[in-house]
Amino acid sequence: MAQEKKQNSTDGSGLSFQELIFELQKYWANQECVIVQPYDMEMGAGTFHPATFLRTIGPEPWRTAYVQASRRPTDGRFGENPNRLQHYYQFQVVLKPSPDNIQELYLISLKAIGVDTKKHDIRFVEDNWESPTLGAWGLGWEVWLDGMEISQFTYFQQVGGLDCKPVTGEITYGLERIAMCLQDCSDLFELAWSRTKKAKVTYGDIYHQNEVEMSRYNFDLANTDALFNWFDVCEKESQKLIEEGLSIPAYEMTMKASHSFNLLDARGAISVTERQRYILRIRSLSREVAQSYLESREKLGFPLVKN
Amino acid sequence: MLKTRDLLIEIGTEELPPKSLKSLATAFSEQMCLALNEVELDFNDSSWYATPRRLSLLITDLDITQKDKEHQRRGPSLSVAFDKNENPTQATVGFAKSCGVEVKELEKLESGKGAWLVFNTILKGKKTNEIIPGLVEKSLGRLPIAKRMRWGNYNIEFVRPIKWILILFGNKTLNCEILGIKSGATSFGHRYHHPGALEIKSPSGYSDILRNKGHVIVNYNERLSLIRSQISSVAKNSKGNAIIDPGLLDEVTSLVEWPVSFIGNFDQKFLKLPKEVLIATMQDNQKYFPVTNDKKELMPLFICVSNIESNNLELIKKGNERVIRPRLSDAVFFWEWDLKYGLKNHRQSLKEVVYQKDLGTLYDKSDRLVKTLSLIGEKINLDINSAKTAAALCLCDLLTKMVSEFPKLQGTMGRYYAKAEGENNDIAIALEELYQPRFAGDKLPKTLPGQCLAISEKIDSLIGIFSIGKAPTGDKDPFALRRSAIGILRIIIECEIDIDLKDLLSTAASTFSNKNQSLNCINDVYTFLMERLRHYYRDEGFSADVFESVFAINISRPLDFHHRMVAVAEFRKLSEAKSLAAANKRISNLLKKSEEIDSVKIKNNLLVEKSEIKLARKLEDYKKIITPMIDNHNYKSALTELAGLRKVIDNFFDNVMVMCDEPDVKKNRLALLSNLNFLFLEIADISKLQD
Repeated sequence: MAQEKKQNSTDGSGLSFQELIFELQKYWANQECVIVQPYDMEMGAGTFHPATFLRTIGPEPWRTAYVQASRRPTDGRFGENPNRLQHYYQFQVVLKPSPDNIQELYLISLKAIGVDTKKHDIRFVEDNWESPTLGAWGLGWEVWLDGMEISQFTYFQQVGGLDCKPVTGEITYGLERIAMCLQDCSDLFELAWSRTKKAKVTYGDIYHQNEVEMSRYNFDLANTDALFNWFDVCEKESQKLIEEGLSIPAYEMTMKASHSFNLLDARGAISVTERQRYILRIRSLSREVAQSYLESREKLGFPLVKN
Repeated sequence: MLKTRDLLIEIGTEELPPKSLKSLATAFSEQMCLALNEVELDFNDSSWYATPRRLSLLITDLDITQKDKEHQRRGPSLSVAFDKNENPTQATVGFAKSCGVEVKELEKLESGKGAWLVFNTILKGKKTNEIIPGLVEKSLGRLPIAKRMRWGNYNIEFVRPIKWILILFGNKTLNCEILGIKSGATSFGHRYHHPGALEIKSPSGYSDILRNKGHVIVNYNERLSLIRSQISSVAKNSKGNAIIDPGLLDEVTSLVEWPVSFIGNFDQKFLKLPKEVLIATMQDNQKYFPVTNDKKELMPLFICVSNIESNNLELIKKGNERVIRPRLSDAVFFWEWDLKYGLKNHRQSLKEVVYQKDLGTLYDKSDRLVKTLSLIGEKINLDINSAKTAAALCLCDLLTKMVSEFPKLQGTMGRYYAKAEGENNDIAIALEELYQPRFAGDKLPKTLPGQCLAISEKIDSLIGIFSIGKAPTGDKDPFALRRSAIGILRIIIECEIDIDLKDLLSTAASTFSNKNQSLNCINDVYTFLMERLRHYYRDEGFSADVFESVFAINISRPLDFHHRMVAVAEFRKLSEAKSLAAANKRISNLLKKSEEIDSVKIKNNLLVEKSEIKLARKLEDYKKIITPMIDNHNYKSALTELAGLRKVIDNFFDNVMVMCDEPDVKKNRLALLSNLNFLFLEIADISKLQD
């Protein structure tokens, strides 16, 4: 599987990776979404970003869109697999309450990035989402573009163990996969990140070395004793902060614990039995954070609720 | 005569779950018909339609109103209805008032049971279009939806968000609000071909308009047949045959409104993967149909059913080919990784996987299987060493990367990896056969080690789960123990393994660490197995009394049980069966009634009547003939022989008074009958046979 040369990357056609982001941001900004910035911490998915996890809690309406890096240490392939990365990007859209035309809005966004919905086979295939660590679940679909899963679509039913009222609609675009379709490219390291008349910078130019070195760290070198210890520290900190009524730093500690767990998992340091216990520990933090955040917003009078 | 009209209902939704689409649509139709029956509205016929974005039904010739109905309300009894002065009592006035009429309008009802004041009235039937909204809402509320969801800011719950509701009664829109959505006369076509509204003018024209204008084939079964024929012809064009899994065909039918099938390629090099892996990747991950050549070997092709008539099909094909490639590359990665790691090397890691809280780890379980198999091996002609190796290896593949990716390949991957590691064929095959039969009617293990391993694993599950108090109750059977039980019985009977269930149970129970618990539940598990055996024979078409006749004599070797079942079923067809059954019933009643006989030894000197002398002599002759037959499990011949006793027995009962006054003669006669009874009971309790 090593470094197969792509045969069919057609330069010049399709949006570059950065243009793809620009277009999505522009499109969703026009749909009243606040474009926030990536969170400055490691996380497994865009859903962990407080702009999703915390904002879906409680009655306040909210619309946002942003890019978020996802880190999934176990998915690393040392830069040798043209389809897998341990660090990749999601474009996250959060619409609360979910509008009646949410599917149509999504399909128009595809047109905005150059997908002709009359030429391609685009389908909504049932995929119900559950995040055991976030105590969250929802119903929805993965969206298939010619058989490729390019997005996930979820109506949140519960977050942090709390019922979602109103329901948030979450759309997560897998940016690399979409770019591969748009650029007709079968090696993600060959994707054009930016493309001008003068030069092309590829995804690989920016991230290949990162994949090689991070895979090595994740799989072989991460200090497991330190990570186990760090997990405990973060858990305690989080609990302490919840007692202080500080849900936001408490949540950051939860995320740190969660990432430590992911690294330990990649290192193979957690047995199958223990694994479940660690997940439950993170979930119980998430639940307490959610409850605490709800209370703090209530104290503030749910400021985003109009009228 | 009442007038009728056709009724069309379409619930437009966001994409419904494909695996439950058909059951949702049929349930909607059933519930609606049921609801119409409940309110006594007649109709001619009902049909259901289903696509990913709609559940619809058409009901033809539905009454436009309910029939008027005579109604009688019963008031106070005549005895208390009027006072001495013939004036209505308080009760009567109150009753009339509650009926909204004067007292004089009430009538009298007299019957054998008494007499009352009654109010007779005719209830006008309601108009159907007033009733329908409520019925639709009720029917939707009764759909078998595993998880209902909410959306937006509404307080509605359904399987997916509802987008529109179309109700036509005759050619008129039925305006109402259901689950917060206003109904109308418009449907919507295919998401991409005809996203706009479609006016439906009449219920009967529904499916044509959807097809001709909307690019939607609403009829589920029609769509399914179309897909099947598209797939077959696409495969034929490439000189192949499509593997059409019925479950997948249903799923794909539920994912498209306008099917367009095409064939795609993948790199030949992936054919080195086990074919089950290729098939699982294609079917489970991508919903593709695999293609085989004349020799039933997989070809590097897949058939995809898309949901659009694109003017650039090549684009869609290329896109799909780009997806399957990394999927298969991943599979190669798992395959090579697993091969490198080795199957055996997972054994120790089984210690880290909990099988069941209170029942230890998977390692403990495989260890028990090793022990159980060795003990079974002592009883039947089994190569103990290979069986033990198989038992030690059998759960290891659960930890391979391939099985974590495709759980349903458990066992199958075990077979491949064991073979790659140089284990002999029998062992490798046993690892896969462990899981057989996987479902009702599935094939059984072919090899003896596989059969024994499959039996041991299932017995271990039964005892384990029973011993921790989680035996199936009612329709709850989370560990699928009924299936395991049937599996054990089928293997023993159909693969002809002569093994004693009670033995097997105590053998398996002795391998648990908490022996108190496991040994304690043996009787319950045995009863459970026998109950399953009863179901097994019912499903096999044996009549219940045949089962009872064998069950009554406590046979714990299922194979032996089976031979007797077959023999009794044959015997039951004989003309002699009926009277012999009756005679046996009579004998056992006599024996039950009489005090204990001190000896079953027949004293020839006490035999008086001719027919009893004859019976005694015949009995001796038959014993000599039949005993060796029974020893050889040749129950059929034994029973056929015994049928020959009919005349002698009938004669006996016609001419001999068993319960005579002479106590010694009576005792002797009872002893004679007891001997006769015993002879039959060696095979089955024939007295249980019914006419």
